[in-house]
Amino acid sequence: MIQFQDFSFQYREGVAPVLRDITLAIPDGCFCGITGAAGSGKSTLTYAINGIIPHCYPGDFYGSVTVEGLDTVEASLTDLSALVGSVCQDIDSQMVSAVVEDEILYGLENFGVPKEEIPGRVHEALAAMGIIELLNRPIDSLSGGQKQKVALASIIALRPKALVLDEPTAELDPASSEAVFRLLARYARENGTTVVVVEQKIALLSEYADLLVIVDDGQIRFADAPETVLAHSDELLALGVNCPRSTTLVNRLKGAGLYNGPAVRNVAAATDVCREVLAGAGA
Amino acid sequence: MIEFKNVSASYDGELAVLKDVSFTIRDGDFVAFVGTNGAGKSTTMRLANGLLKPTAGEVLVDGVPTSQLKTSQIARKVGFLFQNPDRQICCNSVREELLFGFQVLGEQGPDAEAQVDEIIARFGFDSDAEPYLLNRGTRQLLALASIIALKPPTVILDEPTTGLDFRECQKVMETVAQLNAQGTTVVMVCHDMEVVGDFACRVIAMTDGRVVADGPTFEVLRNQEVLKRASVIPPQATAVAMGLQQQVPDCPVAVADANTVEQLAEALEGVAAEGGR
Repeated sequence: MIQFQDFSFQYREGVAPVLRDITLAIPDGCFCGITGAAGSGKSTLTYAINGIIPHCYPGDFYGSVTVEGLDTVEASLTDLSALVGSVCQDIDSQMVSAVVEDEILYGLENFGVPKEEIPGRVHEALAAMGIIELLNRPIDSLSGGQKQKVALASIIALRPKALVLDEPTAELDPASSEAVFRLLARYARENGTTVVVVEQKIALLSEYADLLVIVDDGQIRFADAPETVLAHSDELLALGVNCPRSTTLVNRLKGAGLYNGPAVRNVAAATDVCREVLAGAGA
Repeated sequence: MIEFKNVSASYDGELAVLKDVSFTIRDGDFVAFVGTNGAGKSTTMRLANGLLKPTAGEVLVDGVPTSQLKTSQIARKVGFLFQNPDRQICCNSVREELLFGFQVLGEQGPDAEAQVDEIIARFGFDSDAEPYLLNRGTRQLLALASIIALKPPTVILDEPTTGLDFRECQKVMETVAQLNAQGTTVVMVCHDMEVVGDFACRVIAMTDGRVVADGPTFEVLRNQEVLKRASVIPPQATAVAMGLQQQVPDCPVAVADANTVEQLAEALEGVAAEGGR
């Protein structure tokens, strides 16, 4: 469980709080998607989970943030990093090795994973990301998308309690992005791992997240199941968040009196609604 | 005009990352390259602006092979926007950044200053702002503006909307669309199919270093075989319309052919108003 309680934060150099009065509970095994306009405070929210703030970026920290009951201010970064695996937005800044296998091994060896467990963990992580063939490839020969998969594999190999990912599919093609989200959702479900993803790809968040959080100007405006949040498409647009087109379509049909159900979160559900509209019209 | 004639390319001289690729980008086109990571899209862009030379075949810019042109000569004709603006921005103020291209081309002077003034006004930049303190979307716009300032007849955009929020994305793409409307040829690599559907007039789909489709945007994005081969996911409104076409016998044409939310909603509302087909 990740718990924010009356949390506010202002960077030391900042002139105003970046986050204000955040209270949010993210249960174990939850796939939580966070989105919002640039500068809204999304990344800072994740820094509060993995301890980057206040340990690396000092500032005024109010309220509390706990991960598995561990207070992120009182705990050391070492303790927190054993609990929370993070993938940065800038993948190149995360890579420390010259070869993919070494990149996966780096974390495992540093966390003291028993030697006999390591080969299995490396294989499992690479297989999970579908990149076994990259095992011996030099990192600098990889595309941006391949690097993102390696970074994810290196974190998954550590089997953390929570994963915090800042735009983990930014450089991936649509099919690979969807595959990563599907994998993360399944991983959260099967392992009870809490997955927190900051992402601009609202269609993917809507489809796969259990909890959708909209951040605006340092505050949480919505935090609920995607269907509930997406019903507010006009308010979201005013916050700089554009609903998936499938949602917009169904919301428009609802406005026209052709549909009376909840908001939809993906193409399949929108297709079902449209089929019913056609059937209702005699098609 | 940019022509690829049976072009193959390799980074290490052995592994071909582009295999026998041919196409022509005509003046005024707005073309999107789509396909999976590693399909050869970015390599194609590097060949088009001369950063990479073909190992076989030839790339021609306005009829002249890139192998006979200096990179600086090609740069006057083909502007290149990197995916990450931080790889492009190198000056300490917005104004210096916008003047940098002119200086490199040896064109500094009152004319360049006037053009930079015009660009600053058009984009609403703070000319003294430090580029690295701007947010990502504004840095992307600055990088784009510094290309536009030099008025190349063609601009290549390598994933111009990656990492941008909705508003930033709209601002960048509306600027690009305006450029194209004024005659600039736009070639873009893009993973966001909603952006491709909204803005591109033509799509070239690639997979494994080869072109697998080249045609009007929705002709390509509705071709099931192409979607499968290039692992492309169509825009959502198109996907819904295609799903209805498959699932509903005698699906009304206006519904089946819709490619936008507006078109699909209007078609469905029309069918509902008529009480059936």
